Amino acid sequence: MPKVKMPRSNPTLDMTPMVDLAFLLVTFFMLTSSFRTPEPVVVDPPTSTTKIEIPKQVFMITVDNKGGAFIDITNAAVKSRVFEKVCNQYGMKVDSLTVKKFAGSGAIGMKLSSIPQYLELEANERTKVNQTGVPYDTTGKKSELYWWAFYTRTEAHADFKMREEEAKTRKLPFDKSNYIQFAVKAASDAKYDAVKNVIQIFRDAKVKQFQMITGLEAEPSLK
Amino acid sequence: MAQIQESGGGGHGKGGKKRAKKSSTHVDMTPMVDLAFLLLTFFVLTSTFSKPKVLRMIFPEKLDKIDNVKAPEVKDGLTLLLTDKDKIYYYRGSLKPTTELIPIDYTRTGLRKVLVDYNSDMLLKLQDIQKRMNKVDEKDTAAKRKLDDEVLQVQTASKQIVLVKNDEGATYRNMIDVMDEFMITQIAKYFVIDEGMAKLEKDLIKKQGN
Repeated sequence: MPKVKMPRSNPTLDMTPMVDLAFLLVTFFMLTSSFRTPEPVVVDPPTSTTKIEIPKQVFMITVDNKGGAFIDITNAAVKSRVFEKVCNQYGMKVDSLTVKKFAGSGAIGMKLSSIPQYLELEANERTKVNQTGVPYDTTGKKSELYWWAFYTRTEAHADFKMREEEAKTRKLPFDKSNYIQFAVKAASDAKYDAVKNVIQIFRDAKVKQFQMITGLEAEPSLK
Repeated sequence: MAQIQESGGGGHGKGGKKRAKKSSTHVDMTPMVDLAFLLLTFFVLTSTFSKPKVLRMIFPEKLDKIDNVKAPEVKDGLTLLLTDKDKIYYYRGSLKPTTELIPIDYTRTGLRKVLVDYNSDMLLKLQDIQKRMNKVDEKDTAAKRKLDDEVLQVQTASKQIVLVKNDEGATYRNMIDVMDEFMITQIAKYFVIDEGMAKLEKDLIKKQGN
């Protein structure tokens, strides 16, 4: 009788469960993560003990430590409509491609007339552009920043009404939390007067409620 | 196992005929794992999890005739003066040339202690309501609402008023710190004066500095 040979086992490690797990995690992180859009200025907001989270849809007003104002709207549809309205206000003609580019461009802090030129640039060239802020006027004259604020307020309201109407006709539950709110993200070392001046423009445009963005701080005690 | 099972390596089939060894159909997964973990690392590092927090602030509508609106003068109020280099002063009552400014800081033993002492009556009342709130059954919404109303009543009846004034040197962080302290110490009525400090207050601070 021939000798019974034991089949030689391969010393390979089975990687399948590991691949499964890795891809599961990759999928999870891909779907949950939201990428930070490139910002023209990086500001470090102060901290507070509040626990209220930032609303889903915001008009973000970034104020750097020199008092420059940068604007961004998280809702692309509203953002492009506001852009069209502001261009219209200043008699500027923009094509639909520029509007589309604007909607995906992240925060902007420059005068309106140089925006189309800026949008022509490639993404990596855009970061090299030195932005100093949307021009505004502290004496109460209607500046570009005023019109941005004004049309965002009206468009946000229109957008809210439209979606409410749509939910009603299709008999779907309506999510009120998607209302565009005004968030201020100011550098902690900015002068308060500078931030106040920017807020003043928004108050002129009848915006009253602001969400001041802050970092997280430890639980307070009264003692 | 990823490899497809073959019928024994060099199996002995009929009559012990030797067959050519079949090459394994096993796929090496190592590069795939490498790739997967590379992507995983990338997404873990780039994703931002904690959403920023917000402090709600409501600004009153701007009045056209601002000249007629004067800063409220409070007999027993507390006025905070925010100035440069993260310094903060306070005084009680109305402003006189003889008013003494008391320097404090933004810490727990500084500003918070002042505010807690100032607001102690209301804090006691609110703590009392909170205690009763804890005893109330979760499902008893009517009782809860009643207590919520009581909180609102206490806040409306509050006579503790704080005025905040700043000069050109005060930073945004200073203002947010003060707002945060108001929230912590449950100050129900506070006003941020739009035009900042009066000249007398600036002079008094200058005197303090020397």
